[in-house]
Amino acid sequence: MRLNLSYEKKKGLYGYGFIALWFVGALIFFIVPVIKSFYYSFNDVTPDVGQLIIKWVGIANFKRAFMTDPDFRKNLTSVLGQTAWQTPIIIIFSLFVAIIINQKFRGRTFARAVFFLPVIIATGPVYAIITGDLSTSGTADADQFSSMFSADMVDELLEFVGIYGFNDKLTEVLSTMTSDILNLVWKCGIQIIVFLSALQGIPTSAKEAAAIEGATGWEFFWKITLPYVSPMILVNLVYTIIDTFTDPTNVVMEQVLQIQDDWKYGLSAAMAWSYFAIVLVVVGIVFAIMNKVVYYDN
Amino acid sequence: MATAANKSNPVLDWIKNHMPEKPPKEEKVSRKEKRERFKKRLATLTPAEQKYLRRKQIIDAVWPIVRGLLVFGLCFVIIYPLLYMITTAFRPRSEMNDPTIIWISHHLTTSNIKDAIKTMDFWNTLGNTLFINIGCSILQVITCALTGYGFGRFNFKGKSIFFFVVILMILMPSQIILIPQYMFFRYFNPLWVYHAITGNYINLINSPLTMYLPALTANGIRAGLFIFLFRQAFRGLPKELEDAAYLDGCSPLKTFVSIMVPNAGSTFLTVFLLSVVWYWNDYYVSTSFFTNNSTIALQLKNLDASLTRIIFNNGNIKINARELIVWMEAGCLISITPILIMYIFLQKYFTEGIARSGLTGM
Repeated sequence: MRLNLSYEKKKGLYGYGFIALWFVGALIFFIVPVIKSFYYSFNDVTPDVGQLIIKWVGIANFKRAFMTDPDFRKNLTSVLGQTAWQTPIIIIFSLFVAIIINQKFRGRTFARAVFFLPVIIATGPVYAIITGDLSTSGTADADQFSSMFSADMVDELLEFVGIYGFNDKLTEVLSTMTSDILNLVWKCGIQIIVFLSALQGIPTSAKEAAAIEGATGWEFFWKITLPYVSPMILVNLVYTIIDTFTDPTNVVMEQVLQIQDDWKYGLSAAMAWSYFAIVLVVVGIVFAIMNKVVYYDN
Repeated sequence: MATAANKSNPVLDWIKNHMPEKPPKEEKVSRKEKRERFKKRLATLTPAEQKYLRRKQIIDAVWPIVRGLLVFGLCFVIIYPLLYMITTAFRPRSEMNDPTIIWISHHLTTSNIKDAIKTMDFWNTLGNTLFINIGCSILQVITCALTGYGFGRFNFKGKSIFFFVVILMILMPSQIILIPQYMFFRYFNPLWVYHAITGNYINLINSPLTMYLPALTANGIRAGLFIFLFRQAFRGLPKELEDAAYLDGCSPLKTFVSIMVPNAGSTFLTVFLLSVVWYWNDYYVSTSFFTNNSTIALQLKNLDASLTRIIFNNGNIKINARELIVWMEAGCLISITPILIMYIFLQKYFTEGIARSGLTGM
């Protein structure tokens, strides 16, 4: 018997065919593990030969993660805080760099290649070693960058202009920011590329209109560039947040892995899940806020 | 002797006769003259326009310098650790304690590199890494492309739910699923009947299959992102292409292979390259499945410990933290060299591919 299906329905069936392989894999390697790990988080899990011994303990693991564990809450707040102040700087910085390397000048291709270089290197253990070594060896310290703008110099500048005793807050903020500049620049590769492609997507008609009206570069940025790249700001925000949260070198991820190595599967699952819930909430809030601001050119 | 130079060379003559004529030189204008002309033009404009033009002139003159400095400075920040890596990797360890040496050491040595190669069992590890890396990346590209095509080009019931799973794959930190995955591989039970028949499990830990099986089913490292990229890329292709193929009697699979794949070539290359890079750098997933440091990233992660064991004679040779740097940086250098060489040659596919392949079409 031959099935008489419409063209669209047949196509739909082929759609299932195309995703079938992935779905089987996702079932084995993703969906079942996710459910299992969710279940583990409510259990005491001890490994045994050929199986895991599972004992229901309710929310004890979560209690332990948040109440008893000395580090988890501290690590969590530190990662959240870090994400909160780094993300806006990364976004602004990468937009700035993208605008610069979108202009025509000699060596532009080289500059692009260099700015993307961290993506190639920084995802591995190399980056941890590099930063560790730079701070161990006093002679060529990562602080060298900050010394260019170090507290003293800012102070001297201010004194030169005639402002004395301004040493406290401002210089402190400035020097923490500059000492992290290496860290920040190394995290912007993907974001710069995304902004770059958004900038190249600004229609010529808009650019011409602005030129005819005599817009200055400043006005052009606020009235043309920013609205057109705003969808990509959302994309980059979400990407940056997820990237910072799921970075295997951040303290929470390291702690979870550490606890896994100690065979405390239930506790580590509870930590991982509460962490993931927080990530989801943060991404959700950002999405909800940004979606109202973003301008879509349809 | 002079005759050789005077003799007319037929080849040169021919070239001379066939060269396109030089374009007439533009009338040379002195700077003063230019300024005069500009002033004349200014006089014909309204004050507002004059102001705008003056300002533009100043910005046009100053901005390239500022921009040049900025780009140079930022590039320097990125390249700085690499320069440091190169100079320290070839530095004798005793010179690490010399405060007068910042960049260039008095003597160069390759012994650090040799030690690092020995400690990391570099050539075997490299072969093993490449075997996992290239194989998984190829598999992953193919399977993710198929899946992305299914999501990008077909309408079927429950598509949004399936796609939600893909988004979850991107969002979820991998440590959530590592333990169940570990158990799956540690007590591997092919087709769920192997244990019932033989009473045994197969231990896949340390086998490359732990990397190959997920890649084979589009669930490897960052597969969610790749599926998403492919979906966006295929969605952007015109519908007419596909319809024409169907009318000519192509099956969807054949349409995919002969029409869609060639049109999404740059996405394929980008995903492949990113996949290679991420497999190369991964230690978070592989550290759970490999107990014998069998990839470059794992070797590098544990370089500290293996150096102590192999080169420093189980800690009998005392090395301070500053001296240790020369070996660590040497290890880093040899670990990133293969991937860096690839990047230098294929750089534009990384950047252009990401820009074009629809991460931006969200």
